[in-house]
Amino acid sequence: MADGYRFPALSLAARNLSRQRLRAGLAALGIVIGVFAVVTLGLLGNALSAAATEELGGLGNQVIVSPGESSGSESLNSREVAAVRRAADGRGTVVPLQATGATVRGSDSQRVAQVYGTTNPQALFGNGSGAVPASHRQGALVGSDLASDLSLRPGSTITVEQNEYRVIGVLPPVESISPLQADSAVVLPPEEFATQGVSQVVIRANSAEDARAIATEVRAQLNSRQQRVSVFSLTSILDRISEFFNLLNGFLLAIAGISLVVAGVSIFNVMLMTVAERRGEIGVLRAVGIHRKQVLRTLLVEATLLGVVGGAVGALFGVVTVILTATQTDLPLWAVLLPGNAVVPLGAFAFGVFIALVGGLYPAYRAAWEPPVEALRG
Amino acid sequence: MTAAEPHQTTAPPLALVDVTKRYDSGGGGSVTALSNVEFAVESGEVISVVGPSGSGKSTMLNILGLLDEPTTGRVELRGRPTGGLSAAERTDVRRESLGFVFQDFHLLPTLSAVENVRLPTAFLPGDATDRAEALLELVGLGDRLDHTPDELSGGQKQRVAIARALVNEPDVLLADEPTGNLDRDTGVDILEEIRRITDEEGVGVVAVTHDDLVTEYADRTVELVDGVLSDG
Repeated sequence: MADGYRFPALSLAARNLSRQRLRAGLAALGIVIGVFAVVTLGLLGNALSAAATEELGGLGNQVIVSPGESSGSESLNSREVAAVRRAADGRGTVVPLQATGATVRGSDSQRVAQVYGTTNPQALFGNGSGAVPASHRQGALVGSDLASDLSLRPGSTITVEQNEYRVIGVLPPVESISPLQADSAVVLPPEEFATQGVSQVVIRANSAEDARAIATEVRAQLNSRQQRVSVFSLTSILDRISEFFNLLNGFLLAIAGISLVVAGVSIFNVMLMTVAERRGEIGVLRAVGIHRKQVLRTLLVEATLLGVVGGAVGALFGVVTVILTATQTDLPLWAVLLPGNAVVPLGAFAFGVFIALVGGLYPAYRAAWEPPVEALRG
Repeated sequence: MTAAEPHQTTAPPLALVDVTKRYDSGGGGSVTALSNVEFAVESGEVISVVGPSGSGKSTMLNILGLLDEPTTGRVELRGRPTGGLSAAERTDVRRESLGFVFQDFHLLPTLSAVENVRLPTAFLPGDATDRAEALLELVGLGDRLDHTPDELSGGQKQRVAIARALVNEPDVLLADEPTGNLDRDTGVDILEEIRRITDEEGVGVVAVTHDDLVTEYADRTVELVDGVLSDG
């Protein structure tokens, strides 16, 4: 025995859908495809964006201050370094750096390499590894490429411009993009440099926002009257990149959204057919005392059910597809599984349901408001 | 099942008072479907309305059923005029006071017999399943409760429709060609059913029909010709 109607509109709507399974299935399939498209494109876009940001993230936090071309100087004076330190105070680590090119000779071969001088190689080249000392007083650190080219290991001896140094460590390979060519460089204590002038100041900011603020403030402090320093920051490039990703995401989502709207049109069409076929039945409902709004509600629930089922299936398929894609390609899984990404399937589901509801609105209204006499005359 | 109770008021459960209905016929002209009709049905009374096609029988039934409104005149429920009621109020009145039986049965194909019978109560609180089952027993379908319409014969469908029309304990049952789609023997069964229920439940019945058989079971017959009602 059937239960009483606890949710009459839902119960009647579900029965009605079961009547034309193929048609209901096809209408729901439209929503499935639309939601699937939104979820896959939206999630892939977000994941790509997150992965790229992670890849480029270290770059975005870096600000490099070097002497301005018009300043005529090859090094920054202590006043300028102090100004940079003030600007970066509390926003990141400031590492003054000396840089020059030099011939580096190992036991049997030689290379032209970048030579950096800094008291804090850990901050610049540590790459999270504890092997690089935070304070550098003597000996040389060599980049990983240079070390393999010259067959160097800790304890080896290298000659840099006639001076001999013992290799005290090999820098870990650079994983993120950086303007410093650490892999093929030699890092020496600053005292080993002929001139004590700082050729550039590298600031490792705590965040991209801090990097932007530091760059702005250094420019304001030092370049207000004359181009004394050149401030190099990749934050703006990163902004461009993320802008591009946003644009791409928006574009892809718009295309996916169009497919959902098309699905809404097919629901509209199916509901129009349905109410045309059931005109007499709806007339009977009205005649036996079912109110217009109750008829309307039943028909809207019917349309919405198509959206709920189609949306749920589409969202599920979409998420599974993107996860499978991530496991089969270079796309990192963590970038797909970010908690914030849950918005995409939930939003696509909600949009699918909404589209179905909107698609059913006019047919339901027309059917419910038709005078029962005319509906019964059929 | 409540037996017929004496009604407190003397006003008939449903009446037409000087009802005229005109339709626009296009080109500025109009067709008079009903002309100054006076009509009343009493509790427990079966009235058949006969007349040729296009004589206004269906219009009269629609106006009695508050599905259509008269151009002039009024429909009275127990003496209360219904002219000022909103669409929603008329819907409530239909559900509370009237039952409909159609020529084509008009059962919902997805619902079982019991579900069809309690359909008018679907959006009301409470569960009318017990009453629906009792009504189906009453019309002799106690063993077909869970059958869907396509599993029922024409006569059985019309019995379900009659049970549906009675589920809200209406004052008046309005039947449009109740035997129109049935063979003669089944028609006799249905009319006997209607007659019996009318007597048991004290429901007034107005049956619009072409079928002489219906008039045999009626307490009285009225005839509509060109919108004018006369005693048959």
